[in-house]
Amino acid sequence: MIHPGDAHLKPLPQPDPDSGAFWAGLKHGRLLLQHCLVCSQVQVYQQSRCRLCGSERLEHRAASGRGHVHSYSVVYRAPGPAFKQDTPYAVLLVELEEGPWMISSLLGGDPMAVAIDATVELVCDPVDARITLPRFRLTARR
Amino acid sequence: MALSNASTRRDSLRGKTAIVGAGLSAVGRVPGRSALGLAADATYQAIADAGLPKSQIDGVLACHAFAAPFHRFSVALSEYLGIQPTFSNTLQVSGATAATMFNTAAAAIHGGLAETVLVVGGDSLLTGLSPELALRSMTESRDQQYEMPFGIPVANTFAMTMQRHMKEFGTTSEQLAQVAVVHREHARRTPGAQMTEPLTVRQVLDSGWVTTPYHKLDCSLISDGGAAFIVTSAKRAKSLGVARPVYILGGGECYTHEHVFLMPSLTTTGAVQSGQRAYAMAGYSARDIDVAGVYDCFTGTVIMMLEDLGFCPKGEGGRFVEDGQMTYGGSIPCNTHGGLLSFAHSGMPGALFHFYEVVNQLRGRCGERQVAGAELGLVHSLGGGFATNATTILGTEATL
Repeated sequence: MIHPGDAHLKPLPQPDPDSGAFWAGLKHGRLLLQHCLVCSQVQVYQQSRCRLCGSERLEHRAASGRGHVHSYSVVYRAPGPAFKQDTPYAVLLVELEEGPWMISSLLGGDPMAVAIDATVELVCDPVDARITLPRFRLTARR
Repeated sequence: MALSNASTRRDSLRGKTAIVGAGLSAVGRVPGRSALGLAADATYQAIADAGLPKSQIDGVLACHAFAAPFHRFSVALSEYLGIQPTFSNTLQVSGATAATMFNTAAAAIHGGLAETVLVVGGDSLLTGLSPELALRSMTESRDQQYEMPFGIPVANTFAMTMQRHMKEFGTTSEQLAQVAVVHREHARRTPGAQMTEPLTVRQVLDSGWVTTPYHKLDCSLISDGGAAFIVTSAKRAKSLGVARPVYILGGGECYTHEHVFLMPSLTTTGAVQSGQRAYAMAGYSARDIDVAGVYDCFTGTVIMMLEDLGFCPKGEGGRFVEDGQMTYGGSIPCNTHGGLLSFAHSGMPGALFHFYEVVNQLRGRCGERQVAGAELGLVHSLGGGFATNATTILGTEATL
């Protein structure tokens, strides 16, 4: 639980047994997707089993980092003091080239310039020694 | 419509239980009342309405309260009320909890686990949250690894669905604002409503962004308040001699995802399934419903739900509202009390206010707000950025 004294600190992921490799990959600039070797499902959300077929035969492969904006919303009222100085900022629902969707936020650029279908690319944004967040910037294509 | 197995099964809960009492605490800004106190105020009203002594309540279903974070709110409330039920649970599927409590109460009574169930909620989000709990409610409601590090408020998940809806179907900001205006008009006729000043589309559009495409006045209120209901078997409702019991005719639920990025579609939700299941069990369809309570945490939510529950075709919700179809004289008077947008929104109990209104509409008790001849009602509650959806269909004796 977050205490008011720490309210200015942004919540950071606490890697768990399912997600350790994912966060370690980001530290090395790789967004690791789980590819199911049985049914070909591709997932961002890290699990011990494939969400479709239940297989444990999952293989990590780095995403291309390319995608487009499926939807977004520009936040003016931050959820707590930690994000207040960042407003307005664009939260993105990115559809990766490999298929899965993920939540991220725009790094740099004008948040109000974001539009549905805009193309984006991955930027690995180191937050501290332990955590690198997968963020995105707008690209010129399309 | 064709009836599914759920409705034709002889053991369906259709019409087997009835709401025989309803109570509402003061709502809005209610200082000096804890979450438990608000729930108790509503409960004592409900049992007086039902004409039952509290000792006859043998089941309690409650929703979680942010301001009174007991692990077992239903048990804490039973102690507060001085009762010892033999069936109890605290349900938590976010905003959808309200309808799930009625569905579960009906199933529990029909299945013999209890005979008379108190369905109740109370919370004091406006005056009762400590800074610690307020911060917690803002930062702990989304996934801590894949969502919250990007600064995603709960509102943002709903906002992203609407952004997409506007792109796919051409829904406009003015149409969203019209939803807020209709709710305000309704609240102006509701005694005790939190917001009763007149409102215009222009005022909504000028109220400042919260998270695009939502302005401040596209967002629901933050309130204190509680509501309570007594649900019992249809047989017992008869023997109590209650005037106009309100029967539970059908229930349906659907849980499509937890994380917003795993939502199957941003513009068509689990309300389709939850509604279809409830309609099938009740043996009615959307066009038969006289009055509705539809969860309105944001203006756009109402537009999407009017579509997904079958009151208008997909993508036409904005025009439907603009044409006056969700108010008196339209095809489905909806949230006639003013909803979460203008009546009150005390968190998980918020959707119980929709039940309170629809139950009173079906009992003909709504005075100048009364929808003439209302016999069949629907309440839909949802939460977690459309992760959870639950529908309950209610009717008078004439609908059995």
